[in-house]
Amino acid sequence: MALTLAPPKPKSYDDTFFKPIALWLTTTDHKLIGIMYMTTGMIAFLIGGIFALVMRIQLAQPNEHVVSAELYNQMLSAHGTTMIFFFVTVFMTGIANYFVPIMVGARDMAFPRVNLLGFWLIPVSIVVYYMGFFTGGALNAGWTGYPPLTEKVANPGLGVDFWAVSLIIWAISGIMASVNFLTTIVALRAPGMTFRRLPLFVWAQISTSILLLIVGAPLAADLILLEFDRQFGTNFFTTVGRPVLYQHLFWFFGHPEVYIMILPGFGMISEIVPVFARKPIFGYSTMVAALFGIVFLSMGVWAHHMFTVGLNIYLETFFMAMTMLIAVPTGIKFFNWIATCWKGSITFDLPMKFAFGFMATFLLGGITGVYLASVPVDTQLHQSYFVVAHLHYVLFGGSVMTIFAGIYYWFPKITGRKLNKTLGEWHFWTVFVGFNATFLVMHTLGLEGMPRRIYTYPGGFGEQDWGPTNLVITIASFLVAISVLIFIYNLIYSWRNGEPAGDDPWQGNTLEWATSSPPPPYNFERVPPVRSYMPLRDLRRMRERAAQLERAAAPPPSTTSG
Amino acid sequence: MAHRPRIGAEPILGLVIRRWWQFFLAAPLVGIGLTLGAGQALAISITPPSGVSPNGNAIYNLYLIISIPAIVVFVLVEALLLICVFRFRRSAQPPGYVPPQFHGNRPLEITWTVLPFLILVFIGVLSFRVLQQDFVRPSNAATGLALVVYAHQYGWEYDYPQGFSVQTEGLNAVQNPLVVPTGTLVRLQITSKDVIHSWWVPDITGKTDAVPGYYNYTWFKISKPGVWRGECAELCGSGHSSMQIRVEAVSPAQFRKWVAEQEAKAKTASVSPASRPVESRSAVAAATAASF
Ligand code: HEM
Ligand SMILES: [Cu+2]
Repeated sequence: MALTLAPPKPKSYDDTFFKPIALWLTTTDHKLIGIMYMTTGMIAFLIGGIFALVMRIQLAQPNEHVVSAELYNQMLSAHGTTMIFFFVTVFMTGIANYFVPIMVGARDMAFPRVNLLGFWLIPVSIVVYYMGFFTGGALNAGWTGYPPLTEKVANPGLGVDFWAVSLIIWAISGIMASVNFLTTIVALRAPGMTFRRLPLFVWAQISTSILLLIVGAPLAADLILLEFDRQFGTNFFTTVGRPVLYQHLFWFFGHPEVYIMILPGFGMISEIVPVFARKPIFGYSTMVAALFGIVFLSMGVWAHHMFTVGLNIYLETFFMAMTMLIAVPTGIKFFNWIATCWKGSITFDLPMKFAFGFMATFLLGGITGVYLASVPVDTQLHQSYFVVAHLHYVLFGGSVMTIFAGIYYWFPKITGRKLNKTLGEWHFWTVFVGFNATFLVMHTLGLEGMPRRIYTYPGGFGEQDWGPTNLVITIASFLVAISVLIFIYNLIYSWRNGEPAGDDPWQGNTLEWATSSPPPPYNFERVPPVRSYMPLRDLRRMRERAAQLERAAAPPPSTTSG
Repeated sequence: MAHRPRIGAEPILGLVIRRWWQFFLAAPLVGIGLTLGAGQALAISITPPSGVSPNGNAIYNLYLIISIPAIVVFVLVEALLLICVFRFRRSAQPPGYVPPQFHGNRPLEITWTVLPFLILVFIGVLSFRVLQQDFVRPSNAATGLALVVYAHQYGWEYDYPQGFSVQTEGLNAVQNPLVVPTGTLVRLQITSKDVIHSWWVPDITGKTDAVPGYYNYTWFKISKPGVWRGECAELCGSGHSSMQIRVEAVSPAQFRKWVAEQEAKAKTASVSPASRPVESRSAVAAATAASF
């Protein structure tokens, strides 16, 4: 022991956190980069949320004019783009950056400097997107940016160009991160950490990275072709070109992107549920198989966003079948989580509360997805508020709830302190009630014929008057806003004042709980032996057994009981 | 079910539900009841419009059929989650309870893979049949009235075979509806002159995109006279929300009268409105030729 080359004693992060900016600018430590990703994502969440609130105020009543149609369209596009590209994906990358290397027992990512570059491309991409607002108007065609509306004729401003360039940079960053994750997981696993022993969060990150690696380039290609049209007068997607080709390429990226946003969340839930149910995950290998089923199928469903453009009905049937099929692996994951809880001894600490909140809400998003997969039904629901409700159920009720669960679960590891429980309870109940009140009724608006992406609607024009329902939605959305404020306050408050958590506050199963909180720069002094996919539980059991043996070996008490 | 939910332990539910199969029967019924009840009580829609045209009606029926397994699955899974919350929380377990450490259960896993699959196959087959029936271009013989529709920012132009057209610009669609006869199969051949739009009148049928460069088809056969609202359903610029649609169905006799009026109007007009559609039609033809 004395002879092992001990690395120098780490400076605790409490010191370095407030140290010069230079450290943050140049660090290649995956944990600091992870924190920067997460902070960037959180800021994006707040900005996107502000846009959402303004949109909701505009929509609260018929014929309102809080913002102009043009500004509404810009905010709509900025909300969607910010939430999808700059919040959820970035935040998930941050969590993975922090925890994947630790969970596989590595000291850092495989390419630390690529990691640093990949991160810094994100703020660049965000700034480039937002430049549009200062140069005469940002993207105003929705986050999907369909041409010909985004062609020069219809949209001469610079906003579209900034958006396209921004997302190309974003795609490059995403590809870098994916290569880095895959290499790290393949090459830097600790001894004993075989593939069959990888934590499910790591498996989720493998599948996410594979997806992004495959679909990142088509997104960039699509946008580059669009820029060719705009800058060099080509006709790929103009009125004399093939606007629908853009949609094919976009959704070949776009649909896997929704899985890129949810698979890491699935991974987190698969980590959290067993820990709080005190049981091993049910069906480890089917969980992994389901992930890859989703990866495979998600690349063959893109045209379900295009059921109204007039594709051949047999082609539509193919995409309908693939889309419905993807519900099967997702269903398997659901049932496996429930079976993991079954007969468990569950404690509803905040991570588990959010995990259940996620399952309760995401389920509805999954089920409305089946309606949308049916081509005939989709022609009614497509581009209506039903879809807005559906996408928020899967993105907010899905990805964002898992992000919350993950933060409550891992915040103690990152900071050494638990998030405040009272504030956390308030956060959970306000977001759960507020979220459902906001988005559940949106389904009915769509069924009543309200299209999405309209900046206002005439009151009492035809039979339906959408005013009252919209007012309810707007009021409820402010409850969500309050919940987010509570959460942000909790983050800031508990970072300094939270209850000290210790190294393993939840009795976890995976390697990150073996090291100190926060972990030292090199992550582990010694990586514990890995003999199953729950190395920490093994360690705890070994210690218990050792204690038992010791007790047995101790001299018996003076009075023998026989 | 390998593990029987011990609902009997729950005091209130336990009074009525003593067997797990009673639970699996009751939960969906309660769910469907609650859904319908909430829809009625709050006077909100829980289905799309029932459709005044057969294709719209087929969509409505398909929606209802999908809703049955959807509600059943939703209620069952939510109920399972609630059981986990109330039955398997630590405070509801005996002190010192150590959960069984099982890792899987083959028959159970096969069940919840195959059962959803079968439900989905069922939904898929039904959907495909509606597709085959209602989502193909109606033949010329079957078509009673063939209209050509041009969308532009931010209005619609409906060309009648008689040579005149109905043109709407933004909100004036309200005073200026598309007039069609009842009981007649009307075929719309839709395209756009600029960006993508989408023709959607929810009470009639689903939406059809108007994409520059090629024609899309939809049709309807309206059963009763009336006026139905709709609007453009694909973001097309700052006037998008004003791009309204009104369809007025009148009896065939009234329709003939209306057509005669329009033809008279077209004749007296100094410039024949018919020249516009012809010109735009050839523009689309050129665009189509260029892209295929
Ligand atoms: C308080 C929370 C939120 C509210 C009130 C809200 C509200 C809205 C509204 C009003 C729209 C525009 C509907 C339209 O005009 O078509 C919208 C669109 C959208 N939202 Fe949210 N949203 C919230 C959170 C989120 C989150 C967390 C995400 C993603 C993680 C998200 C993703 C989107 C996307 C992708 C769109 C579509 C944008 C587009 O049509 O281009 N939203 N949201
Ligand atoms: Cu339009």
